[in-house]
Amino acid sequence: MTWEDKYLKQAKKIIKLYPQKRSAMGPLLHLAQSRDGYISDESISVISELVGVTEVQVKSVSTFYSMYKQEPTGKYLISVCKSISCEINDSKSVINAVKDFTGLNNNETDEEKLFTFEAVECIGACGGAPAVQVNYETVEGLTTEKVINLCKWLKDTTPDLIVADVLQEKFGGTKSFDWAIKDSSGSTGSVPGFQTFNTTKEEK
Amino acid sequence: MKETLLLTKHMREYPENSHLIDSYEKNNGYKTAKSALKSLSPQQILQEIKDSNIKGRGGAGFPTGTKWGMLVEDQEKYLVINADESEPGTFKDRILLERDPHQLIEGMILTCFASGIHKAFIYIRGEYAKPARRVQKAVEQAYEKNYIGKNIFGSNFDLDIVVHLGAGAYICGEETALLNSLEGRRGEPRLKPPYYPAVKGLYMKPTLVNNVETISSVPWIIANSGLEYNKLGVEGSVGTRIFSLSGHINNPGNYEIQMGSSFGEFVDTLGGGVKNSKKIKAFIPGGASAPWFRGDQLDIKMTIDDVAKNNSMLGSGAVVMMDEDTNLVSAAKSIVSFFAHESCGQCTPCREGTTWLEMILDRIASGRGRTSDVELLLDICDNISPGLSWPPKMTTICPLGPSAVSPITSLMKDFRDEVDKLIPSKVLL
Amino acid sequence: MNQKINLNVNGLVIESENDKLLIEACEDSGIHIPRFCWHKRLDPVGMCRMCLVEIDTPKGKILVPSCTTKVTDEMIVDTESDTVRKAQEGILEFLLINHPLDCPICDKAGECPLQDQTMAYGPGESRFVEEKRHFEKPLPISEIILLDRERCILCARCTRFSDEISGDPLIEFIQRGNKTEVNTFPNEPFKSYFSGNTVQICPVGALTSTSYRFKARPWDLKTTQSTCNGCSIGCTIELNSSQNKMLRILGVDNDAVNQGWLCDKGRYNFEYLNSKQRLLSSMKKVNDIFEEISLQEVFSDLKNEIIDESTKVKFFIGTNLTNEDYYTIKEFSKNIPAQNQTFYLNDDFLHSGKYQNTIDQASLNDLDNSDVIVLWAQDLKENLPILFLRIRKAVKNGVKLVIFGHSNQTLLDISDTFFGENIVSNNFEIIKDLNKIKDFKKSVSGKKVTAVIGKSSPFQSNESLDNLVKFLQENSEVKILRAYSKGNIFGAISVFDSVKGTKEFINDTSNDTPDLLFVVGADPVGSSIFSSNFKENIKKIKKVVSLDLFQHETSELSTYIIPTASTLGEKEGTFTNIEFRTSRIDKLVPSPGQSISDWEFFAGLINYCNLQEFSNSVHEINKKLYENLKSSNIPIFDNLDKPSNVEGIIHIKTPNVEISDEVIESNYFLGNKLYGDNATVRHSESISFLGSKKFIEMNEETANQYSLTNGICKLEQNSFSVNLTYNINNKLPDGLIFIPKNRRDLNKFNFLDEIKIFPGSQEGSLNVS
Ligand SMILES: Cc1cc2nc3c(=O)[nH]c(=O)nc-3n(C[C@H](O)[C@H](O)[C@H](O)COP(=O)(O)O)c2cc1C
Ligand code: SF4
Ligand code: FES
Repeated sequence: MTWEDKYLKQAKKIIKLYPQKRSAMGPLLHLAQSRDGYISDESISVISELVGVTEVQVKSVSTFYSMYKQEPTGKYLISVCKSISCEINDSKSVINAVKDFTGLNNNETDEEKLFTFEAVECIGACGGAPAVQVNYETVEGLTTEKVINLCKWLKDTTPDLIVADVLQEKFGGTKSFDWAIKDSSGSTGSVPGFQTFNTTKEEK
Repeated sequence: MKETLLLTKHMREYPENSHLIDSYEKNNGYKTAKSALKSLSPQQILQEIKDSNIKGRGGAGFPTGTKWGMLVEDQEKYLVINADESEPGTFKDRILLERDPHQLIEGMILTCFASGIHKAFIYIRGEYAKPARRVQKAVEQAYEKNYIGKNIFGSNFDLDIVVHLGAGAYICGEETALLNSLEGRRGEPRLKPPYYPAVKGLYMKPTLVNNVETISSVPWIIANSGLEYNKLGVEGSVGTRIFSLSGHINNPGNYEIQMGSSFGEFVDTLGGGVKNSKKIKAFIPGGASAPWFRGDQLDIKMTIDDVAKNNSMLGSGAVVMMDEDTNLVSAAKSIVSFFAHESCGQCTPCREGTTWLEMILDRIASGRGRTSDVELLLDICDNISPGLSWPPKMTTICPLGPSAVSPITSLMKDFRDEVDKLIPSKVLL
Repeated sequence: MNQKINLNVNGLVIESENDKLLIEACEDSGIHIPRFCWHKRLDPVGMCRMCLVEIDTPKGKILVPSCTTKVTDEMIVDTESDTVRKAQEGILEFLLINHPLDCPICDKAGECPLQDQTMAYGPGESRFVEEKRHFEKPLPISEIILLDRERCILCARCTRFSDEISGDPLIEFIQRGNKTEVNTFPNEPFKSYFSGNTVQICPVGALTSTSYRFKARPWDLKTTQSTCNGCSIGCTIELNSSQNKMLRILGVDNDAVNQGWLCDKGRYNFEYLNSKQRLLSSMKKVNDIFEEISLQEVFSDLKNEIIDESTKVKFFIGTNLTNEDYYTIKEFSKNIPAQNQTFYLNDDFLHSGKYQNTIDQASLNDLDNSDVIVLWAQDLKENLPILFLRIRKAVKNGVKLVIFGHSNQTLLDISDTFFGENIVSNNFEIIKDLNKIKDFKKSVSGKKVTAVIGKSSPFQSNESLDNLVKFLQENSEVKILRAYSKGNIFGAISVFDSVKGTKEFINDTSNDTPDLLFVVGADPVGSSIFSSNFKENIKKIKKVVSLDLFQHETSELSTYIIPTASTLGEKEGTFTNIEFRTSRIDKLVPSPGQSISDWEFFAGLINYCNLQEFSNSVHEINKKLYENLKSSNIPIFDNLDKPSNVEGIIHIKTPNVEISDEVIESNYFLGNKLYGDNATVRHSESISFLGSKKFIEMNEETANQYSLTNGICKLEQNSFSVNLTYNINNKLPDGLIFIPKNRRDLNKFNFLDEIKIFPGSQEGSLNVS
């Protein structure tokens, strides 16, 4: 078993960026996540080949980081912040709202593989608490209504591209700081939308 | 009280395009690097940084000039920008990455030139996708203009920059854990000694690790001289600093100010006062790791030394205000859970202790506390950070473990009654 | 570099060397600091934090882990202050909150550092009222190792060992923080030749051996120190028995030899001692059936031949005997009238080891002290596992490694230079003028070189090796380790004035059949690549006396079978290793039935035929071994038992191994795997199946030549054929085929003739047709 050419090509590109192959392990795991929706044993074997370590060494690294998921995630990874600034701005009710709407508990994914819900630590949006990320695209200044509308919208329109600025415009409130011009780039999956991983697009 | 805009000037004046190279160049961007690489020697740049007396903005507050001076000579050296910003309450690096990435890149060019470094990495926390995209775009633009790459500005100085994304681990903000992570390993802090980055850093080669804000300050310092920078602020806390203000506050946000005025002033002026004009019960002066202050300590001055004198720290520059209605036990629990969740797991006291503390706080918060718990909590804290003194003594490799102790000691010292009233008194043990 | 310094510990001044670790410095002066993660032979990680001590600094006293802190002159240390005690108590409480209280059913109980230190430094009762961490237990992570993650205290000893020392990181930390666990990859178990070491160094009962599970309690174990005779390294071991049954073997930290480590074969290959199949009494073949007879009858049967000078007597001798056995055989042969007797050793890989100019013998420690190690020998990982580890260690500390030939592939990734097919032919000859290989000459010229030299494959010529050694002698300061790999072969070489090999036996006996052959602890028919020739020639011999632990293909052909005691724990004696270091073999359990030591048989025979008054005390024989030697520190019991000689005693002898040297063209690269199909492994359940898989290896190119596609092929020669799997190994040169000759049936081929290779059919079973 191996990866399709498009992923292998990307992998080779990434490996070239670093003085030592092993440094590419992190990015390659993001790549694996974008391919499989989680870190599959198959991808672990591929990566161990690519960077020249044993499979269990890849597993060891991948399980250390919370963004590398060990089970398949839904189309939309909803991460609600529960750290201090959000906590004291009632993130609890936002969390409960999402739980109720999706019927999911922490780190669960629904059958349709639409939503994965998680309560996470600080996402650096404390000025816009309580804050949420959808596929690592940040929305700030949420309330229970707003977050439910957000979930509804995702469920009804099931966009393939998630754009922070779009979410913020539609559902956000107080921001951590002035976002200035609208940015139409976003994420295409349950990974950070990032050029190097081929996981970002511009919205028309 | 007013802001002093050095690092955030460009983004404030040209909000629309401050992240793009044209706008940056129109406002003298890259001019400093251009001329410096032609007319200044590495030593001269280093001297300017030393003269500026700027201290690291990542949390440890180590003098940057001294750090650069300690970099061991070697033909293979690295610069790693610490953009892992994950300390709860902190979002200042995010704005610098998102709104003015070229300022950081120019700072990196100057830094690398000063230290003879030809390969640099920007380690951005994985959750900062949008900032990372902006930085990556900026790096590409800089390459196109050959401001980085081979033979920059015809000075035959080469520099390559790689943007690297983390994957969700606060501990990777600790510089040696960050290096392990960048090497494709578990983000576990290394032993110091022997693994000081300046000696045995990335790939065991001499490495500079600096915070985003620190390096973003470099262009201004070189353009205006270190002595000019040193004039700003107060002794020991010179220059400007971006504070992230959050919590129960009317105008949360990032504010670039000269250090010296009091927290109270900061809150009332730039912060626009406390939400619903409530009173402040407690506040965190420098990120989740910092011991709390009481509402009646708002007059403490926002300088490294004043805060330290009062047994806390400015740390990452995150100020979190908690009003009179705040449930401080839940607040403390939130912070302790954070550290428990983020512990890398190497050190027994941190791995086992933080989780144990979390379990007990959880029981107390949900009304299942025992009268013996208060004492137990404090003793567990004492086994993680002996003496519960400040700055903390450690039984651990890195300061994360001891950080988890701060909220509990603060709670017990100043807000003991909030804990007691949650513990059902009739429970006999 | 290491200058002496003084530091003050708990008020008393102790001496040490700078850049020593505090915990070691204290240990050396008898101050014990509790620890879990620190291990003398592993890089420190400072994880468990149990070893915290207080040191004085300008900023006052601070707590530091003594396992990561180097001593400095005038350092002031307190290892017992209240702060330290409090910290230690805290650490232990932290370690215990998630540790199951299952000591009563734990193999480690009684020798468990966690248990002991809890007694010594631990808190009273637990203040932990929450739910403990839970894992499925125990998890088999290989055929021989079990993992109980609930007991694990995350000291990283096993993970560091497999990464740093053995170089097969198959066990690692998974998850993070409080969820951290140690584990292997699902479809990649802990398949390591060294996995047993992790069980030995695990400070709790998290890693255990299937072979020892629930077998005994430390307090009812009988123990003694001995030497492993598994290969010519001779690792220092501790034998553990209970009720006269061997139960466990542990590695002893002999700094000069194995430094605490053992290979899994050495550690687990002991269950055969208790096998039902052991020979219990002497037997004689009477019209093709073996009948029990007494030893006396055997003696009287043999007497006439023995005292008749016209009898042609030969000895075919195994490598698992003690020096005392060898000596008695030699004395026996001296005392009988027979002409030109010869001693043949049971090893297909012997090379002459006599080089043009005299050459210095290297010790294992020389590996660390040399600039370069030049290696050309059989696969060390398979045949001399601890030498493999010692070389890894030397390289880790900066020694350069140069490898010749196709055999040592598992060391390639840490080697600096590798000379493969364009320098070494498929017949293992050097095909280039060494002087013309620039980077080789450069890498050794004027350097301190330790050369590890031996045949990669039985068909390799002495000449090829001699040329390399000659070159090294001319260009560098070279010392040599002759990689004769089997058991106590250096003991045999030291005792006998001259020995020959298996091929020589065939040549000699083909021309001139002996009348009387003693086969002592050897099964050439079952193990030599000349198996078929052995069969023929032995059949022709009138009387064959075979001494052994088990009945085997060679003893089947003999006239008499004598049951013997094993060198592993069943007899006393001495063993001489690859560097001519002699150490003690000790007895811990009785040998079964009427089995006797090999020396007892020959001593008895000498006396029976009253050739001389021969001693029947191993102690006296041992004294005689070196009687004509003047040196004060000769390797005899009296000296070896002195504490000052715990590492054994080196007494070097230039080998006199007579190996004929015709170059044999062959495409077959014959080697032994660590686990093979020999009597002892076969009769040790825990590991028996590890040596059962049959396969060959070749590169893709070669596989195509034979149009092999589906992973299975068929080897055929005359009427004999074997179906087996072939593994693609592209590190092998075109045309060369690796055959693990010690796997069942594979030595039945005559490798001097062609073996046909056909694609195999999937359904075709993997058995002999
Ligand atoms: C647990 C822990 C987390 C840290 N997180 C960060 C961080 O997110 N960003 C950062 O710049 N420094 C962080 N630091 C500080 C770094 O270790 C290092 O001191 C800093 O990046 C050096 O840059 P500076 O000198 O420019 O401040 C952290 C330190 C610790 C102990
Ligand atoms: S203190 Fe905690 S986070 Fe820091 S190294 Fe130790 S276990 Fe890891
Ligand atoms: S022995 Fe020193 S930290 Fe474990």
